[in-house]
Amino acid sequence: MAGLDYFEVECTEDGSDNYNKIATTVLQDHNLLSIVEGLHIYIDPEYPLFVATGFIHPPRSAIKISDVGNVLIQDNQATIAVGDETYLAAMLKMLWLKLGHDNVDQPDRFTVIIKNVEIPKDLKDWMVIDPSQSLFKDLIYAIQVIAPEGFKVRRENYGKNRFSFAASENTIPADVIEKIIADRFAKMEEALK
Amino acid sequence: MILVPITYKGGVYRLDEVIDYIEDLGGYIVQRHNIASEVILQVLMPKEDIKRLAAFSRPLAGEIQESPLVGTEIAVVIPSLEIHHLPHSACDVAEYLRSHGSKSNMLGMARGFGKRIAQMNDEERDLINEHDLAIFVLGNFASCIETKFPKFRPGITVPIILTGGPEREVLEKQTDPPVAGYVGGLGRFMHRTQTEADIHRLDLVIDEVIKIVEARRQEIANDPLSVSPARLQALIKQELPEIEEVYSPSPIAVQLNGLRVKLSYPAYAQKVRDLVIEDEVKVGDVADVLPSRMRDYILIRIKPLSETNIVV
Repeated sequence: MAGLDYFEVECTEDGSDNYNKIATTVLQDHNLLSIVEGLHIYIDPEYPLFVATGFIHPPRSAIKISDVGNVLIQDNQATIAVGDETYLAAMLKMLWLKLGHDNVDQPDRFTVIIKNVEIPKDLKDWMVIDPSQSLFKDLIYAIQVIAPEGFKVRRENYGKNRFSFAASENTIPADVIEKIIADRFAKMEEALK
Repeated sequence: MILVPITYKGGVYRLDEVIDYIEDLGGYIVQRHNIASEVILQVLMPKEDIKRLAAFSRPLAGEIQESPLVGTEIAVVIPSLEIHHLPHSACDVAEYLRSHGSKSNMLGMARGFGKRIAQMNDEERDLINEHDLAIFVLGNFASCIETKFPKFRPGITVPIILTGGPEREVLEKQTDPPVAGYVGGLGRFMHRTQTEADIHRLDLVIDEVIKIVEARRQEIANDPLSVSPARLQALIKQELPEIEEVYSPSPIAVQLNGLRVKLSYPAYAQKVRDLVIEDEVKVGDVADVLPSRMRDYILIRIKPLSETNIVV
């Protein structure tokens, strides 16, 4: 799959091609292709069992006000000249919450003015959004969409740039799953060396 | 008189004359779609008069096409109305049927997902049985379909077309007793059907549907219905003006051997039974007026000639 350094769908019967396509489309639709580094999907329709293991690229650093636009502080008034609108809404929301709705004005699309309050010195370093916070949530949601429907018994783990997801409609034997997950991670590490 | 399903595509200019002409020839307009300045009429009309309509509409640049699916109501059954099946696979199949003139309904089951845990309840089963045929759009794995599909089949009396990820031969081999039609390579997918291969699979669905519908029409022709469903539709439209206030896209859905009238059963069933078709023949004499499992709608099942000895 484009954008992924490792991608494999392992299946105990015919049908891996279809899941290959499903996984590609879902990751693309959820804008996760640039985030996921490697993904291994294991499917056993007989039991039935669905296991996904993956690595992610180190998450991007938090977005600060200075990433959204230039901050100019003059005469107890701060003007932010917006350069990138992507996080503008999130920034406005944060500023309104911290400084009050009346004190933050947006006279036009690319200008935000803060006045009537004491302007904090470190304004440009205020954090607007931390993408890593919602990342795993989005990722697990996408994997759930990829997984066959009705697999309500789930086990999901994430931490330190890796995640695993196992699902079935029957109870999942912990030792079997742990082994499958560990094996797949070892395989991926080997391939990504 | 055998009525043939056709689609008429044309502009709005002098459309009223075209509609009058169709009606004068003994045809019935089953459904009408207005798309910008274009109008699509789905029509059932006598076979020998189609060329007359073609000649009449030629100066108006109207196009006439035979479309065997006009006048059918088809259920597209999927395991559930979840993001796993929507909007693609299920909607694409339903929409493709619609573009070929059929009235398609999508039916997601409450607990149809999974393999061991898949279930179907009586309401879902009865609803499927109210259609002319049902298309089951299932998943990608043969072993899963093999376990799951037999749970959905009991009690389904309408012809079934089974679609799934495995090849057609695999589906055929593992389905016992056989169903009316199979389409392989069409399981669960998440992308839009845009490529030629995708469209080809949808075409295969249409081919299977046409095969079944034509066989069913032939069966009906051997023992004709006491009244044509299209004629009943026209009668209800004329006699029950309340139908104009129903905002469903098709207030009266025409089926091969009946109709679904989207009026309340308790309030209108008797009125429908009492409608006079011709001379002293009432709707109640030639058809069963039943409560539908879809909301509180009315379902009309027209009886065959052999049962009533009447043809109007």
